[in-house]
Amino acid sequence: MSIELLAAPLIDLPQRWMAALLAIIALTLVMTFAVMFATYYERKVVARMQQRLGPMRTGPYGIMQAFADTVKLVAKEDLRPATADPVAFELAVFAIFVPAFIALVAVPFTEDWIISPMPLSLLFLLAVSGLSFIGFLMAGWGSDSKYALLGGMRAAAQLISYEIPLILAMIGIVMVTSSVNVGDIIIFQDKVPLIVWQPLGFLIFLTASVAELERQPFDIPTGESEVAGGVFIEYSGIRWSMFQLTSYVNMYVFALLGAFVFLGGWEWPFGRDIGWGYQLFLTLAKMSLFIVFYLWSRTSFPRLRVDQLMSYAWKVLIPFALLQIFLNGLVLVYDLPDIVLLITSGAAALAMVALVYRAVRVTPRVPLKMVSNTMPARSVV
Amino acid sequence: MLGILKSMGMTARACFRKPVTIEYPTTHREIPNRDRAFPILIWDDEHDEPFCTGCHACERACPVECMTVVMKDNPKHAAGESKRRKIIDEFWIDYGRCMRCNICVEVCNFEAIGMNNTWAGHELSRYDRSELVMDLDQLLSQSKKHLVEPGLRA
Amino acid sequence: MTARAKGTSSVVVEQDAPEIVDIPINMGPQHPSTHGVFRMVLVVSGEKVLDVTPHIGYMHRGGEKLMEAMDFRQGIGYADRTEYLAQFSAELGYVLAVERLMEIEVPERAQYVRVILTELNRLSSHFMFMGAFGIDSGLFGTSFTYAFREREYLQDVFEEVSGDRLMYAYFRVGGLAWEVTDNFVERVHDVMKTSAKGIQDLDDLLTRNEIFMARCQNIGSFSAQQAIANGLSGPILRASGVPWDLRKDEPYSIYERFRFEVPVGHYGDVYDRYLVRLEEMRQSLAIIEQALEGLPEGPIVPDKMPRRLRTPPGEVYAKVESPRGEWGVYLVSKGGDKPYRMKMRSPSFCNLSALREMTIGQYLADAVMILGSMDIVLCDVDR
Ligand code: SF4
Ligand code: SF4
Repeated sequence: MSIELLAAPLIDLPQRWMAALLAIIALTLVMTFAVMFATYYERKVVARMQQRLGPMRTGPYGIMQAFADTVKLVAKEDLRPATADPVAFELAVFAIFVPAFIALVAVPFTEDWIISPMPLSLLFLLAVSGLSFIGFLMAGWGSDSKYALLGGMRAAAQLISYEIPLILAMIGIVMVTSSVNVGDIIIFQDKVPLIVWQPLGFLIFLTASVAELERQPFDIPTGESEVAGGVFIEYSGIRWSMFQLTSYVNMYVFALLGAFVFLGGWEWPFGRDIGWGYQLFLTLAKMSLFIVFYLWSRTSFPRLRVDQLMSYAWKVLIPFALLQIFLNGLVLVYDLPDIVLLITSGAAALAMVALVYRAVRVTPRVPLKMVSNTMPARSVV
Repeated sequence: MLGILKSMGMTARACFRKPVTIEYPTTHREIPNRDRAFPILIWDDEHDEPFCTGCHACERACPVECMTVVMKDNPKHAAGESKRRKIIDEFWIDYGRCMRCNICVEVCNFEAIGMNNTWAGHELSRYDRSELVMDLDQLLSQSKKHLVEPGLRA
Repeated sequence: MTARAKGTSSVVVEQDAPEIVDIPINMGPQHPSTHGVFRMVLVVSGEKVLDVTPHIGYMHRGGEKLMEAMDFRQGIGYADRTEYLAQFSAELGYVLAVERLMEIEVPERAQYVRVILTELNRLSSHFMFMGAFGIDSGLFGTSFTYAFREREYLQDVFEEVSGDRLMYAYFRVGGLAWEVTDNFVERVHDVMKTSAKGIQDLDDLLTRNEIFMARCQNIGSFSAQQAIANGLSGPILRASGVPWDLRKDEPYSIYERFRFEVPVGHYGDVYDRYLVRLEEMRQSLAIIEQALEGLPEGPIVPDKMPRRLRTPPGEVYAKVESPRGEWGVYLVSKGGDKPYRMKMRSPSFCNLSALREMTIGQYLADAVMILGSMDIVLCDVDR
């Protein structure tokens, strides 16, 4: 590998380590720029959905906005409340920041663009991305602010709850593909992407990933109108921007994961032998679909309430995720044709949608009464 | 679920509409003729002096008492060039206090004061409040240069 | 939950482990969703609200006292500034009071223009509610931008007529300050079209959204009796099922001439308040339509208006149905050109008094929604 050749003369470390180090540095830089782009893109798309223009002042069409933001955030004073717990407060950022980047180590951008090919990469991805709640708790507790504490508690509850349906949905995938390696799962989808066989799993993954990302409608831990930023409330400057950076990196990670596991990654629809350029393009294109969905949901949905969030995870998503596993097991054990997977999973997905639909409209509400002569009102008084 | 899709449809539709933003400092919205920014004094070109005679009517009517008027004998009247016997000597309006209620314009019998209806009347940010106290020259300057033709007179 | 909460700021829960303490949370005066400088101290146990103590007065400027030093033309500007989202309603209440005291007959044309502008103002105020309420419910500003788009169009019309975008100061005792613009009727027709579209946009965005419904329904419910006992008025009262609208019940100006319906809710919860406001906007459009048809030619002030407004001694209470409820002006005059005593009955203040009762026992997130559903104007609360 060229990276190894480059690294060899620099220092007398094992080449493997050096290469990994370089790759991680490169990845961090690339991701930082990708996040900068994402913030710009998000602001533009959200603005258009709200019939606004979005950033326009910095450079043509505001393309330098992200850089301007970065400069501003880095130059800002880094404040720590006097009563905050210094250790928890300062380390919380890293407890969130590091796992998000580590997850990228196992992401196969193309067939062989992967920093560390590992046989259990799906497991690794899920495990690492589940670590960030510790950071939220630390930030919430360490800030010594009631809002931050509320936000931290909400974040911990939410992240842990939604980890479960997410992993259960992935177990369904693992059952179908009989592999825990993301690369193998992608290769499994050479003819049909898994979204076709696992629509229910896809729905569950989609909702749970939005919740894991704490974006609308699940932005309860940071809810601007309730806890005014939640755990971020006491952070400023570079630390705050690291939180933001992390949340966008996480968005990329989950979008990539969704693209690989449900949309066939770089495999579907053209097969593997199209060269890394096309593979990369396919990966990014499918990732963008997820990202657009995340942005879209951000503009369209109000926020759920804490209890609704919890009951949605425990009463809807988890049972249905288990149902998906059960259905997959049936198909696998009796060796039924794949189409049964589609039918059962699809039917279950519809059932879930119908259930949610009914749950909201438990009792049909009495519509407004239109009164043209209000005089009898006096009798009420 | 259907309602959620409806919401998403709404935002998607909005995506393809023309944005309504006006990029303010670079483009200015056209403001109507009646716009009331801040009161300014009007210059009488015919006699080359302000219309204002310093009659104190506006000063008395102003609800926030932000005007100060000082009257003097008109030297031009003595020279026979003007019919105004009295003329304004000093005039201050504290734009920081003015509530832009148009009452001074309504009470003036000489049509000597009007509401600025240009963007110059709105863009008055200053670093110090005291800079918002406009004196006679500042109040007259725009009308003198024919930059303003106040539209609203009740 | 609710039983032990009364009148406490910090309570040690007895039946649980002793170290669990209900924490008081200070929401406001600088909080994104208190709609101005309003502060409430919430005592929460986890996410449940046990007690609420509202603190008002941050915006108190002594407006009523100021208006006692103003003559009747100068006071109009202050009425604007008290109720800065429904300025025309506020002005109308004020001039109605003076007109009743002086027994002035207002010309037809002025009456019609007043109704048109007041109803347009109701639209713009309710748009403001829709936008802000969307944000309270956690929407990322989408409803806000849609609503503000329409509000700007409405303000364009107000600006063309009155000269100002916010503090119109356009109604005068006896009529109007000046004649409307020549293209007034077309402009109002235009803006009605865009507003109707804007209402539809917001309707599509929010009304049937399941998440929005789940957030709004069955929180902050008030029965008709509770609503009346708390002295509520306006859309909140009507959402609780009391058909009470001053435009119908005690018609002022010329409201008895228009056919329109009053939407009345059934549950009195936040969702009904939202629906009532949405429907009221449509009814306002209907009123404007009729008023535009009937708009006569003629003078805008009575012929024999005295140059200086002097009221006979006496007292009067005039009330109008502002977008927030009953906006009343109580005026005592001892003769002369200034009121002896001036008191505003502001709907925001009276409605806000029900906040505690509505919020206790709800979730923290709901407290925000309930406050948002009241659609208060803090300047109107504190005056
Ligand atoms: S506009 Fe009103 S407040 Fe301003 S100077 Fe004239 S009278 Fe005074
Ligand atoms: S502006 Fe008019 S009212 Fe005021 S002092 Fe001059 S002439 Fe008199």
